[in-house]
Amino acid sequence: MTLAPARPTGPENPGPGPERPGPENPGPGSGPGPARPAPVLSVRDLRVSFPSEQGPVQAVRGVDFDLLPGRTLGIVGESGSGKSATALALMGLLPPAAHLEGRILLGGRDLAAMDDTRLARIRGKDIGMVFQDPMSALTPVLSVGRLLSQALRVHQDLSRKDAWEQAVQLLDLVGIPDPRERAKAFPHEFSGGMRQRVVIALAIANKPSVLVADEPTTALDVTVQAQILEVLRLAQRESGAALVLITHDLGVVAGHADDVAVMYAGRIVEHAGVDELFARPTMPYTARLLAAVPTAGSGVQRPLLPIAGEPPSPVALPAGCAFAPRCAVARDVCRTTEPDLTAPAGRPGRVACHRAQEIADGTLDPAGPAGSAVALTPDRAAARRTPGEVVLRVEDLVKTFPVTRGALLKRRTGTLHAVNGVGFEVRAGETLALVGESGSGKTTTLREVLRLRAPEGGRIEVAGTDVATLRSAAQVRELRSEVQIVLQDPTDALDPRLTVFDLLAEPLRAAGADRTAVRSRIPRLLDLVGLDRAVGDRFPAALSGGQRQRVGIARALAREPRLLVLDEPLSALDVSVQAEIVNLLVRLKRELALAYLVVAHDLAVVRYFSDRIAVMYLGHIVESGATEEIFARPRHPYTRALLSAVPLPDPQRERRRERIVLRGEQPSAARLPAGCVFVDRCPLHREADESVRTRCRTERPSTVGAPDGSDHRYACHAL
Amino acid sequence: MLRYVTRRAAGWFLVIAVATNATYFLASSFLDPRSNFKELRPVRTDEQVSRALAPYNLDPHEPLLHRWWDWLSGVVLRFDWGRSPVGVEVNGEIGHRSLVSAQLVIGATLLSVVVGVALAVHTASRQYGWRDRAAQALSMALFNVPVSVAALALVLLAIRLNEQAGWHFLYVAGERSPDVEGFWATLGDRAAHLVLPTLTLTLTGYVGHHLTQRSLLLDVIGSDFVRTARATGLTRAQAIRRHALRTALIPTAQSVAFSIPAVFTGAVLTETVFGWNGMGQYFVQTINKNDVHGTVATAAFAAALTAIGAILADITTVLLDPRVRVS
Ligand code: SF4
Ligand code: SF4
Repeated sequence: MTLAPARPTGPENPGPGPERPGPENPGPGSGPGPARPAPVLSVRDLRVSFPSEQGPVQAVRGVDFDLLPGRTLGIVGESGSGKSATALALMGLLPPAAHLEGRILLGGRDLAAMDDTRLARIRGKDIGMVFQDPMSALTPVLSVGRLLSQALRVHQDLSRKDAWEQAVQLLDLVGIPDPRERAKAFPHEFSGGMRQRVVIALAIANKPSVLVADEPTTALDVTVQAQILEVLRLAQRESGAALVLITHDLGVVAGHADDVAVMYAGRIVEHAGVDELFARPTMPYTARLLAAVPTAGSGVQRPLLPIAGEPPSPVALPAGCAFAPRCAVARDVCRTTEPDLTAPAGRPGRVACHRAQEIADGTLDPAGPAGSAVALTPDRAAARRTPGEVVLRVEDLVKTFPVTRGALLKRRTGTLHAVNGVGFEVRAGETLALVGESGSGKTTTLREVLRLRAPEGGRIEVAGTDVATLRSAAQVRELRSEVQIVLQDPTDALDPRLTVFDLLAEPLRAAGADRTAVRSRIPRLLDLVGLDRAVGDRFPAALSGGQRQRVGIARALAREPRLLVLDEPLSALDVSVQAEIVNLLVRLKRELALAYLVVAHDLAVVRYFSDRIAVMYLGHIVESGATEEIFARPRHPYTRALLSAVPLPDPQRERRRERIVLRGEQPSAARLPAGCVFVDRCPLHREADESVRTRCRTERPSTVGAPDGSDHRYACHAL
Repeated sequence: MLRYVTRRAAGWFLVIAVATNATYFLASSFLDPRSNFKELRPVRTDEQVSRALAPYNLDPHEPLLHRWWDWLSGVVLRFDWGRSPVGVEVNGEIGHRSLVSAQLVIGATLLSVVVGVALAVHTASRQYGWRDRAAQALSMALFNVPVSVAALALVLLAIRLNEQAGWHFLYVAGERSPDVEGFWATLGDRAAHLVLPTLTLTLTGYVGHHLTQRSLLLDVIGSDFVRTARATGLTRAQAIRRHALRTALIPTAQSVAFSIPAVFTGAVLTETVFGWNGMGQYFVQTINKNDVHGTVATAAFAAALTAIGAILADITTVLLDPRVRVS
């Protein structure tokens, strides 16, 4: 591979550039004018490899880009695309075993050539980093004020007192309420969102010129994600830093990046301005990715077009273009020669594709000939025509947990109302999605259903049988075959020592099937979930994530259940694989007349395969109804905020649309408000007149149906 | 916190009281002071033996419950733990010997912890480097050397060194020289006597700390928060010392606190080789000499140390780990 030739977008190779460009240089949002500022960060032919048992893993293979002061470069890619290794390389935080090549030029210095001691002087001062998982990113035994003042004192000559003072200011800047008091608190006393604010404060403490954020909101709930992205933007504005925003979420990139680099199998395959890239993707992978990503926006739902196959393993990359096996417009040259990242004539941006020019000229559709991909259009009309019988009925479900305090002496100090008066129905051939943020009680609800025991309060009826009436273990076992579960990441559920055949045979044998029955059933199961019959001989470790999820589904289907409970079935999968599984689930539901109860946090995905949605908050269903109805006309203020917080993979709309950013975070279910559970964060409540406000605080709103007589229901005094 | 500690202390006190009394009955039934008189010539009559033992509340003709009651009231009313079969006061013995042991044990424990942890930090930062491998090999080897062998080897080495230097600067026996006077001279003499036994205990004691601390650290070094610390501008080594170690020390602090009673009474071999009259020796001697009161007092002493160790372990955990702070 050669270094990309001179490009119209990139400046010439930077020499020993100017000293650290300060915030007085063109600030955020300034477009690439005729006289472009020198980049703060230039990466040239970056390569990272890790040793592994199967030989070196080429995680990053020749990445180059320039980062302009105050701008945001979004790096998008699926798992294994090399985006995180790139981030760690920029920070000099790769594990010692990693091998690094190329140049990382920051203020005229080459970070790639520095040892840890010299790098340490730059880390935190000139380049700061925000990490993915705020729960583990902070030293548990030090107070956040101490963490921050230490970070300040590493690079600045400050007295302890001054550093503490600055730490308090930083906490205030990132939106920690009561910062002076909270500075003394330890990380475990903060929620995930608050911890991520602290991590951002750490990153900007010394006003670096470059910020690297590696999946900064992936571990957070969507309303908190919106807050954190705001804080990140604010922090960027305050410090004038340029931002490298690494994420798998195209929606986040659309709303927050100025430029986007798409990575695939360790390389940048397309790099362009955000509007350009989303409006006219040139690289076939980008085009297909955009077509495969679900969107939660209102308006007409467009079909999901899955990309066949899965991303290549970094230990066994194909010769030629890494995307060739999945590309609908691949030619012979694609399979032998890897394309360089070049600028097609007449287009800004760079693309690594042999057919980029044709695509740029508009003579070739990068997604391939229309019709080659099976569009996913949920057959909702059909489902409505034949309302099946009720397979699951939940009424007034209640589940509480004791709250204990103290680690050495446990004592019960309260009651956590995880689920409080929840009721719904799921019919055959229908999908009900429970959506909500963590702590909303959706997973607890699901567990209660799976338990098949009399609930603490309320009634659960599966296939017409009240679970409280089950007396013997045999009866429970019989009912259990009607209800099966598909887990988020089937890896844990699949015994690594069993082949796929044995994994599928297990539930069949447990149900008393003899050998011939097992032998004839398994190939049919594999066909059903779209797996090759040869997969039967393999072990789970030899399967890709998508294949494992298919095995998980096949296992759940082995005993021909009527109700499938799906716990975040797609969140462990890459975007390009997700669409296929969504497709599969919809097809199975239709063919087998299954009822699905889904728990998911990703509203965009839910939209594509659920018929009805129930929105949960603090153990209550606050709104429910037909999926499209909820997306088109959300009524409850929480649903509205939730939907507006989901980033849309469309830069134009993402920038234009009005966002309801909720204040604060979901409180603990151990201290339920007496009135409406949403009252602390409700934007509607703040504007309502006095009589409604009093009711919000004192009286729990009851669920009422929409005036149009549909099954759209919500619980709010102000509606 | 204070309330918690008081409650724990009260609980332990109860346990110690029960255990000590149980030990009294056990020791009285297994240790027979009369047998001390068997080898004496002329052979003593039963009566003579009883008469000899009676002043020390050890007369076997006295009913056990009676003896126990006398002993218990002595302990409770006067904190008098009784006398040995030859009339030596247990209180005095333990008072003196525990000081001797403390000299030996406190220094050696501190040294073992410091050496072990420092070595662990140093080698864990360079996992699989040659220094890590070398230190690992050395610790493994020392781990398998019995204390007595290590002590004897050191004694031989010291004798060699003394000969070479032509100056008797390493003492291989005893806890002090008999004829030293003056504060500074005494201090220097004590310290010189301490060198070899402390070295023995350190060499055999640091190994455990090195190996466990190293693996504790390696667990923590890969964690996200160490990476965050490095991202703020610390080198790998600094991040390990300031962030990883702080977290990984918690279990070590606990185990050190818990090990206090064991090292106090467990240094028997070292004490024997170097001729120190410490608690370890005392424990063995009291059993050998059928000294019921001495044995019981030693057991009570060890139990008290265990309680102190356990409470210290709780306190250190609470101090080091904000996550378990009782509110
Ligand atoms: S057309 Fe060829 S080079 Fe371009 S993406 Fe497809 S396979 Fe790769
Ligand atoms: S009842 Fe009141 S607090 Fe609750 S959602 Fe409606 S307006 Fe908001």
